[in-house]
Amino acid sequence: MILIVGGEGSGKWSFAKTLGYTEQEIADAVIDERPVVYHLERLVFAQPEQADALLDSLLEKEVVICCEVGSGIIPVERNERLGREATGRLCVLLAQQAQAVVRMVCGIPTVIKGELP
Amino acid sequence: MPNSRMILLTGGSACGKSSYGEELCMRLPFPRYYIAAMRPFGDGSEEKIARHRRLRSGKGFETIERYTDLQGLVLPERGTVLLECICNLTANEMFDEEGAWINPYETVVAGVEALRRQSDTLVVITNEVGTDSRTYDSGTQAYMDVIGRINRTLAQQADVVCELVCGLPLGRKGSLEDVF
Repeated sequence: MILIVGGEGSGKWSFAKTLGYTEQEIADAVIDERPVVYHLERLVFAQPEQADALLDSLLEKEVVICCEVGSGIIPVERNERLGREATGRLCVLLAQQAQAVVRMVCGIPTVIKGELP
Repeated sequence: MPNSRMILLTGGSACGKSSYGEELCMRLPFPRYYIAAMRPFGDGSEEKIARHRRLRSGKGFETIERYTDLQGLVLPERGTVLLECICNLTANEMFDEEGAWINPYETVVAGVEALRRQSDTLVVITNEVGTDSRTYDSGTQAYMDVIGRINRTLAQQADVVCELVCGLPLGRKGSLEDVF
């Protein structure tokens, strides 16, 4: 599994396409039979307290794409706070087992763990 | 400050800063002090403190709760020190007893310096608070600005600066190989 992270609009999706994936292979904020999961953070925010339960099925994916949401002022609203913490923690767990982690900045990919296939 | 090394760890919420800071300290000698700056009330801080305590247990840290005035803190011995975190410390130093705003910059920077003088290695955890798209009230805006300024000063003083992303340390200054 390759984990791709970065801010909103940083080029995560475009980068996934350069790995050979087509639009039909990208599951947007849902986990199904498609090999790429996009907008993981939206899935987590929907049920922050169940985030850990997503781990196993995400590890079976080829690519997981997640927005970095933890930088900024800690939100006052509880669900939002739990969502960004759960997203961060889930990404730490995914990164531990990922074959590669790519971080996007201004459309530029940096491999921060492992190697791309 | 001879023989006093400082490592600054930054990153967003839940990016693995605390775990990584603890891991670094585990490779360094006793005594190990954990300076906790988070006050135990409001905004889910009780849960957070409990979680941090769980993660730290069995790692040989002596916890010292210190919410303000690091300059007045005297450690029992020189050793390995983990300070968590600049954002809480800054928030605690921002208001005087009457609740009026005071600029916490000098107090926080001098406090970290005082702690460093008593440490063989000081690991400081801070947070990236300036990267979201919202508009805040002037108090929060001032808080973000001063944290940014404190982070810049601490990074200048630190031997090593790492940004944590998904639990992975990205070197931003110096090298941990020089520390270990």
